[in-house]
Amino acid sequence: MNPEWPDGCSRPVRRDSAGGVELDDNVALYDTAGQLLIMLNSSAAAVWERCDGATTLDEMVGELAEAHGGDDAGAIAEDVRLTVRKLAELGLVVDAGT
Amino acid sequence: MEYEYGWAHRTHNLSGLSYHFAVRADDERLGCLADAVLAGLRDPCDAAPVEHWYSLTASDAALGTVDVTCDDRVLARGQQPGDALGWVVWDVNRAAAEASGCHLLLHAGGVEAGGTGVLIPGASGSGKSTLVAGLVRAGLGYLTDELAALDMASGKLMPYPKPITVKSGSFAVLSDMGPDVCRGPGHGPWVGEEWQLAVGEGTGRRVGGPCEAGFVVVPRYDATAETALTPLSATQAFLALAVNAVNLIPHGSAGTRALGRLAGRCQCFSLTVSDLDAACRLVLGLVEAPAARGGAGREP
Repeated sequence: MNPEWPDGCSRPVRRDSAGGVELDDNVALYDTAGQLLIMLNSSAAAVWERCDGATTLDEMVGELAEAHGGDDAGAIAEDVRLTVRKLAELGLVVDAGT
Repeated sequence: MEYEYGWAHRTHNLSGLSYHFAVRADDERLGCLADAVLAGLRDPCDAAPVEHWYSLTASDAALGTVDVTCDDRVLARGQQPGDALGWVVWDVNRAAAEASGCHLLLHAGGVEAGGTGVLIPGASGSGKSTLVAGLVRAGLGYLTDELAALDMASGKLMPYPKPITVKSGSFAVLSDMGPDVCRGPGHGPWVGEEWQLAVGEGTGRRVGGPCEAGFVVVPRYDATAETALTPLSATQAFLALAVNAVNLIPHGSAGTRALGRLAGRCQCFSLTVSDLDAACRLVLGLVEAPAARGGAGREP
C-alpha cells in the first residue's frame, strides 16, 4: 500500500465482501475474505459509512468536523486518515480512484 | 424383545436437528433407559431414516460395564451404564452440530414461553444448563441446553431437545429433577457422573416449538454475588452471541447480520446467578411481562 495513502482527494470504498450490521452507534463487520469479525466504535463507524467511493477524505473530514461542532479539524483529519488506512489494511476498504 | 444380533432393545428413531440416529443395546434395562433419556429427540412418526447406530454392548458382565460405539467407531470402552449414555449424548451433540450447518449454531441454551424464545448463550461452566433446567422445571418449554439453532430462512430458534446435562455441582439445587434411576436399589452405576435429564413425552417436561427469540439472557454463575439481571446494549449482546457462535465463518456476513438482528430485536440482559430459584423468578418475570406476551422486543 502506498505509504501516503489516503490523501485528501482519495475516495475510499467499502469492499463488497465486508458486510456490516449497525448496533447502537457501532458497526459489526464480517469480512468474508479475511474471515474476520470486526467491531467498529462509533467514530470508526462514522468513517466507514462515508466510504462510498464518492466522498473524498477531505469531504469526510468536513462533515465530521461539522458534526462535532467545528472541533479541531486538523486532529479530525488525522483520525479519519488513520481510520481509513486501518480499514484498508484490514481489507475492508479500497481506493476507488481519484 | 429380541432383535437381530441379539439386541435386546432398540430405541425409537431419533433426530437431533439434521442428525438421524437410533440406539440399540444388548441389555433390555439399558436400552429402555436410553429410550427414556432421549425421549425429547423422538421422531414423532418414527419416519426419519436411521443414518447412524449407537450400540451399547456389555464389555464385562461381572463388572456390569458397557462399550459404546457409533457405527464402526468406538467411543468408549468399559463404561458404567449411566456414563455410557453420557458418551452417546456427547457424540450426538458433536454430530448434530456437524450435520446441521445450514443453521447458525450457538453454544447456548434455549427455552420457550408463550411462543417467544429465550436464548441463553454461555461457555461451559456459565450455568446455562442449570438455568435451563430450572426454567423447564418452572414450566417453560425446552429447546436445548447446549446447541441453539437459528434457522437462517425464518429467523426462528429450532428445538434441539437433547436430554439436559446436569453436572454434579448442580445436583443439590435440582435434586427433585434427578433421574428416576436414582431412586432404585443399586442405582449408582446407572446415574453417571452427570445427570441426563429426559424431556418430552412421559417426562412432565415440555418441549417447546420453533419460535422467534424475544430475549437474550447471558448467565454468569457467581456464588458470592447477588442474583440480578442487568440490561445489555445491543452491542454487548451481539458480542456475547458472536463469541458463542459455533459456525459463524461459513455463514459469514449473513450470519453476522442474523446475530445483529437478534441482538437488536431482543431484550438483552446479563444474569448473575448465585441462587437458582431467584434467577428463574427474574427470567419468568421477563417473559410474563405484558410486553413479552405481546411479542414486543427492542426495535431493531
